Amino acid sequence: MADQSSSTNPAAAPVRSARPMSEALLNEKWDHCLSTLLIRSTIGAGFGVIFSVLLFKRRAFPVWAGLGFGAGRAWEECDSSFKRASAPSRDGLRVLRS
Amino acid sequence: MLRLAVARSARGAGQGFTGAARGQWTSQWLQQPIRRTLADARAPDKTILPGSQSATTAGVPQPPVMATATTNPTAAEIPPTQVPQTPPTPEEVGAVAKAATNTAANVAANAIASNIPPTGADKAGSEQSAPPPPPPKPRRRIRKFLTTLIVLSALGYGGGVYYSLISDNFHDFFTEYVPYGEDAVAYFEDREFRKRFPSKEYSAKTWPQTRGENKVTIPRSSGLTPRVAEEGDSKSKAPVATPKKAADVKLSAPATQEPKDVAKAAAPVKPIDHINVEQATEPAVQNLVKMVNNVITAINASPESARFQPVVENLKGDLSNAISAIGSLKEQHIHDAETQIQNAHSEFDEAAKELVRRLESQMREQEAHWREEYEKERQTLSEGYRQRLSAELEAAEKVFESKRKNALLQQEISLQKQYMDTVKAKVEEERSGRLSKLDELSSSVSELERLTSEWNSVVDATLQTQHLQIAVEAVKAKVLQSEYPTPFLNELVALKEVSGDDEVVNAAIASINPLAYQRGISSAAHLIDRFRRVASEVRKASLLPEDAGVASHAASAVLSRFMFQKRSDRGFPEGDDVEATLARTEVLLEEGDLDAAAREMNGLKGWANVLSRDWVSECRRVLEVKQAVDVIATEARLKSLLVD
Repeated sequence: MADQSSSTNPAAAPVRSARPMSEALLNEKWDHCLSTLLIRSTIGAGFGVIFSVLLFKRRAFPVWAGLGFGAGRAWEECDSSFKRASAPSRDGLRVLRS
Repeated sequence: MLRLAVARSARGAGQGFTGAARGQWTSQWLQQPIRRTLADARAPDKTILPGSQSATTAGVPQPPVMATATTNPTAAEIPPTQVPQTPPTPEEVGAVAKAATNTAANVAANAIASNIPPTGADKAGSEQSAPPPPPPKPRRRIRKFLTTLIVLSALGYGGGVYYSLISDNFHDFFTEYVPYGEDAVAYFEDREFRKRFPSKEYSAKTWPQTRGENKVTIPRSSGLTPRVAEEGDSKSKAPVATPKKAADVKLSAPATQEPKDVAKAAAPVKPIDHINVEQATEPAVQNLVKMVNNVITAINASPESARFQPVVENLKGDLSNAISAIGSLKEQHIHDAETQIQNAHSEFDEAAKELVRRLESQMREQEAHWREEYEKERQTLSEGYRQRLSAELEAAEKVFESKRKNALLQQEISLQKQYMDTVKAKVEEERSGRLSKLDELSSSVSELERLTSEWNSVVDATLQTQHLQIAVEAVKAKVLQSEYPTPFLNELVALKEVSGDDEVVNAAIASINPLAYQRGISSAAHLIDRFRRVASEVRKASLLPEDAGVASHAASAVLSRFMFQKRSDRGFPEGDDVEATLARTEVLLEEGDLDAAAREMNGLKGWANVLSRDWVSECRRVLEVKQAVDVIATEARLKSLLVD
């Protein structure tokens, strides 16, 4: 049984990777959101650091501001992705307009 | 900001630099008001001498005379070199001023003007009075401008006309854009054309010369001219000529007439009779008689008619003699002529006879010749006609023969057909009489064959149904009794082959999702296991509102953990919420009712539906396969029942 399951799984694996199973949809979105939050806030904070060094005499507030910008962007993106996904997706469907 | 920061940081580095910079800034700041800008008001009490200003602007150094001139009026001493020997007249000054267009000349004029002893007390007054009165100047300037403008425009116009005669391109431009340019250019072109082609040729050109011959010019005086006929002239000329002749005739015989006149004059008493000649038919004689009569009347009229009487008598006698001689001569001549005419007649008659004879002989020859030719021609024509006739006769005979042959052949063919028909009829009769028993035999044999084939088909059908049932059993075993999803493509193919063209089986196989038989379907235990996972996820999303964002998702995920789960062991839960649905589905699954469980889960809404979609579709696939297999099994059973 173990042999057979291992033989059948490789065939099924690529399909699952291409489209997530429906019960894993939310979790996937959460993962994506977290990673986006991390990346964007890091980028924002980096810009804040650069600005604080260049213009603001190494004060702390530009860093926080940049972090906030990045996190805000990530939040917005995540929010929109959640909202979009609640409606049934129309990928691969043809829309007939009369 | 950056600059500020830099400045602030640089403060610590060196105070000297900033100090220097500040000093520079302040010095610049101080220097700035010296330069007059547009915003600054002009000093009101600045007087500018016209000459000096123009000299400075032109870059010409101010002459030293100017300085002396400004201070001159009060100073008594003037250098001897600058003192003018004779004071310049106002016209000269004006001329100089007119000529002075450039600044250098202007300066010179100023110098001259300033050298004049001042008339007024004010130096500005002297400056203003020095140049000639300004009013004529602008007018002349305007006039000069106008003249130059006119001259230039005329030159340009003329040049344009000339160039447009040369260049076609410019001609187009000029005639299109310059007013009256077209007329001017056309005038010049016309003149040139006239010069090249004189007017005569030009007028002759209006009738185009179609052929190459030279034109003939007919002079004006040629042809007919009407004129009044001069009748009187021609009439008057003829009478003039006749008297002259008469005079000549009279003058030719003066010697004879002189004595006659004398004689006639001598006999006045007895008038001389006029001569009367009987042969007055000749016109010459008549004339002569008339003349003599005239002479006689003239003599009779004269006083000396008696003297001339004998002469006249002589004359008369001579005349009659002469007339008789003329008559005889005439007769003789007539006679001669008649004889000659008779001779000529006879000659002509002979010649005519000869001619007629010759012509007749010729005609006879001709006739004979023509007759021969006619005979020949007739013979040839008759030969030709005879030949043609014979040829046509032959052709007609041939056609007739061929027709006859054809008719014979047709008759022969119809006869043969009739013979064949009769033979066939005879043979058929024979066969139906003797070979009818063979037909009966063959029909019984074919009946036997049919029976055996029917039995064969029955056997085949039973075999087929058996195969079908075996195949269905194989599919069932593969699909429903397996613990894990296994593809059953081969079994389905076998089933399809075994079923042949059974529509029900084909439709059932077609209703199965390809994914199902390619990847297999999951078993009930697998489905229940997966349902547990799906249920936990759905429960997390059970509190979500419509169109939820991040915050509501997070809140739902957190708060759903504190919710009480509806337990299915206390009975069938009622309600429309997610918890109740999940509990009902679980109960149904445990009971084994997959269809109802899928229906329940399909009734979820929003995110719960999205999350459970895959599970529901898997359930549906399983149900489809099960239904198809049931249908095929029923069909197989039906077939096995139908066989007997």
